[in-house]
Amino acid sequence: MWDKNTEQELRQLVKDTGVQLLEENLVQGTWGNISVRLDEDHMLVSPTGLDYNHLEPEDMPIVQISDPSVWSDGKKPTSERKIHAAVLASRPEINACIHSHPVFATAMASCHMPLPAFSDELKEVMNGDVIVGSYGLPGTKKLKEGTVEAMKGRNACFMANHGVFCVGETMEEAFNVLRVLEKNVYEYIKMQTLEKTGAKEYSDELLFKVFTIKANKFLKKSN
Amino acid sequence: MDKSVELILEYARELTKQNVVGKGDCISVKSGEYMYASDKEVALDALTEKDVLKIKLEEAEGEYALHAALYTQKEDVLAVCHCHPKWVKPIADCEVDIPAVTDDMTQIVGRNCKTSKNDIDSIVFNLAHRNSTLIKGDGCVTTGRTLNEAYTCVLVLDKAAHCFVASAVLKKNVLISDFEAILMNTIYKMKYSKKNQENLQNEEGNK
Repeated sequence: MWDKNTEQELRQLVKDTGVQLLEENLVQGTWGNISVRLDEDHMLVSPTGLDYNHLEPEDMPIVQISDPSVWSDGKKPTSERKIHAAVLASRPEINACIHSHPVFATAMASCHMPLPAFSDELKEVMNGDVIVGSYGLPGTKKLKEGTVEAMKGRNACFMANHGVFCVGETMEEAFNVLRVLEKNVYEYIKMQTLEKTGAKEYSDELLFKVFTIKANKFLKKSN
Repeated sequence: MDKSVELILEYARELTKQNVVGKGDCISVKSGEYMYASDKEVALDALTEKDVLKIKLEEAEGEYALHAALYTQKEDVLAVCHCHPKWVKPIADCEVDIPAVTDDMTQIVGRNCKTSKNDIDSIVFNLAHRNSTLIKGDGCVTTGRTLNEAYTCVLVLDKAAHCFVASAVLKKNVLISDFEAILMNTIYKMKYSKKNQENLQNEEGNK
């Protein structure tokens, strides 16, 4: 059991993390969700479909980890709570999870492409390559199982055609995992663009050029 | 200040904040036989109360005729955003469609987003069963039951466009199947967003 003061602090932490996600453009609108462990069998999660800026700490529901259909207090919990519960249940050392849709990482996820641990920062923060969980419709068992499998021994994974899942012993750590992942995917895309074009300096316009060549060669024919 | 004018100004600020604006942007909301629209000659980041025009639907011309056509031909359309997000541009210029690359795109936009020719008929045609289309050489148009919904479509579309463009240097996008895309879009429209949109319609006062 936890004390009320701790619960209140964690409620505020979920709210602040959501606002921070928006401020750093690591999520858009009401998407993504956050959880933090209260005890072995309970977690606080963000509610479904609400803008983090308009959330109040008391809006966060308490969800049972062993049976996430059971919840109390707060507003209706995120439909992805089963993934948070399954990850927290399988990883006792983890206390915080963030599911988000940052743009560069989502691009990798839409290609079902793992991110090799090409930098020291990635090796240190991610515990190896970041792999892709198998595709499943939102809220389904398939998506939950794919995510749990891809998270085994890792601090982050891509969710196919969807986004990313990041964890940490603390919320600060989970947020750092997310930040490092997005930054390194961006670096990876830059590296690939330079490699493909032979240019010395990256710009988004350079990436547009590569896209335009590919689109004119292949994509127009399929439309 | 009229509530519709306030709304236009609020979402002009939001679109600017999200960095999905460009030259020639125009956003509007329907109000009975009229619409309130931002002056397309004024950048959204510089929009003021005096730049929000009240236009009779049947007398609309130029850019505003496109908005009026959508309001008169699609009953459920109460708001329109014509914007020029950065990542949409190369796709619209190449005249290709954005396929089902991400879950949120298929939920909110549909199983793909077509690129229309730059004329009203082509745009209205491609918006018959969708709420978003790209326009060759001219950004995108999104529609909604509220301005919030049309605004959200712009954000989702820009993100999907970003994923699609970036895939040019990654591997090929693995697409979501038509069945799953249609299922997600239907569930989103019928269940997930319905209550939210009803609440927003009351808030925005354009029901």
